[in-house]
Amino acid sequence: MKIKYNGEIVIGALFTIASGVLLARIPIEIKTLETTAVNAQTVPRIALGGLCLFSFILFLQGVFLIPKKVLVFDQALKESREFKDSIRSLIYIAILILYTVIFRFLGYIISSIYLIFAILIYYGARKKSYYAIALTVSAVVYLVFSLVLNIALP
Amino acid sequence: MDLVLSGLGILYNWQLLLAIPIGMILGIIVGAIPGLTSDLGIILMIPLTYTLEPTVAILALVSIYVGGTYGGSITAILINTPGTSANAASLFDGYPMAQKGEAYKALSMALYASTIGGLIGAFVLLFLAPPIAKVTLKFGPAEYLALAVFGLSVIAGVSNENIFKGLIGACIGIFVSTIGLDVISGTVRFTFGNIQLRRGIDLIIALIGLFAISEILMKAKYNPKTDRTVVDASSITKMKITKEEYKRCRKPITIGTIIGVIIGATPGTGGGLAAFIAYNQVKQTSSHPETFGKGEIEGVAASESANNAACGGTMIPMLTLGVPGDGATAILMGAFMVHGLVPGPMLFKEQGSILYAIMIGSIIVNICLWVFGKFFTRFYAHITRIPFELLACIVLTFCAAGAFSTNNNIYDVYYIFIFGILAYYLRLMNFQMVPILLGIVLGPLAEMNFRRALILSDGSYMIFIKRPISLAFLLIAFGSVVTFTIKDFRHKRREAAKSA
Repeated sequence: MKIKYNGEIVIGALFTIASGVLLARIPIEIKTLETTAVNAQTVPRIALGGLCLFSFILFLQGVFLIPKKVLVFDQALKESREFKDSIRSLIYIAILILYTVIFRFLGYIISSIYLIFAILIYYGARKKSYYAIALTVSAVVYLVFSLVLNIALP
Repeated sequence: MDLVLSGLGILYNWQLLLAIPIGMILGIIVGAIPGLTSDLGIILMIPLTYTLEPTVAILALVSIYVGGTYGGSITAILINTPGTSANAASLFDGYPMAQKGEAYKALSMALYASTIGGLIGAFVLLFLAPPIAKVTLKFGPAEYLALAVFGLSVIAGVSNENIFKGLIGACIGIFVSTIGLDVISGTVRFTFGNIQLRRGIDLIIALIGLFAISEILMKAKYNPKTDRTVVDASSITKMKITKEEYKRCRKPITIGTIIGVIIGATPGTGGGLAAFIAYNQVKQTSSHPETFGKGEIEGVAASESANNAACGGTMIPMLTLGVPGDGATAILMGAFMVHGLVPGPMLFKEQGSILYAIMIGSIIVNICLWVFGKFFTRFYAHITRIPFELLACIVLTFCAAGAFSTNNNIYDVYYIFIFGILAYYLRLMNFQMVPILLGIVLGPLAEMNFRRALILSDGSYMIFIKRPISLAFLLIAFGSVVTFTIKDFRHKRREAAKSA
């Protein structure tokens, strides 16, 4: 299977749809009692309307004016550098999402230990000094926030 | 004069003796590391400045800005990689000079030119900002709205290869700024039933996500084994600048400084553009243009004086009009707001002494640049040795701690990663973050003044056209959108014709 696409088509379409949905939701999400023509709904309408319009124009530019890339779904795609880089990015994002969950439930210190190990392993770091330095700096950050700034991290 | 003296009085504060040097050293280090920028340094430092007095906090952040703008020249000269975009023009001659064994000379000239340019930029800010602010005191709500529209449209066009990407960014920013409680009517907007969203999205949270987190994510594909470049510390041999070279560089520094201040004062531009234009101008007017690009010290002088002069220039529209000159000043503007100072002409009226303290302090900051730059020159090679994977861990934990400390709320930590992931994918599609940031910063200002203007005019939109300053800004905004659209369309047609 082949797909012809470019970034402008993808982003243009996504934002056109998203802004259209949000525009439709304005009466539900912004329940104002104001009776004037210009009220709490006005600027969100302008912003989302503008987003919809400009995204659609971008989409049209992508379709008619900008060269498209061809994406072929076959075995070669899975072995390509781009595909592997995309998977790496998704793994990186997954590490960060898990970090936020651990941050909430287990606190700053444990989540920082997890993050440091995860990131350094992700980059293939083997030197123990890197782990030691990162953990030490993280501890210093905790102490600075707790003792100097009087902000209790979780 | 009273305000100047009062400003000097505010500067008589022991905390500044620590804040400026620490900010300067941090700025130079952050600017020198490719992948970290002075913007990121400012963002990371903002949470640490919450407990400081406004003047001390702002000057610490300005020190990072100034230091970072100079710091980027270090890696530009030593390893052909600019630390910040403002130093890209310094590559052309800085790196060839290093290859010839003149790295110390190039670094010294970069420091000298940056200091001169920065000092003059700070003096221009001190003398020009107050009279401009007096003119802008006559602005009413219609003018402020028109100014916000002008700022957003110009920056959308200048900062992106495609103006529609910039306008999309601006609209996203304005939409994000409307989330939460409407300040005029108290109506809840786009909270999706989540009580945490009632207070809206904090500017600092958006900053950390859009810039810091996305920057780290952009290095997801980084491979330490193949992508890392370091410089051998022994390659910096001491070769001082001769008197004749100082004399030759007077003209490039003068041209660079003038261009830096003018370009910097134009919203949406910044040090990078100023440096390129200054370099190009000096090369074209030189009696020996063939030497440029091969290790000509005048090239380094021109670009570095321009980008640091732009630091003062970019603060002029930010302080007087409330429209930032570039991304870093947009972030600084956020810092001002965090400390209860709303940039604009009213700030000169209400907090004039603090503002004068900041402007005079900027002069002191640039003097400190010379002192610290000179002292640390020999250590600079070591900065490039810090592995990115180590930095990523440190920056991420710092971002999470900083985000949490803003409101003591875990949701802010979620938001920085949501913004960061969104910004990462937008940056992959060549979107710039500055229009989004500006939309978040200027959105509330634009909305408040829009609704106020319509209340004053009993609902008539003609108020924006009948008032001449408002009409002028709107026409310029419209003109810039049309100009950029036509330019963009022609460029795409040419590209399409070439590929056909």
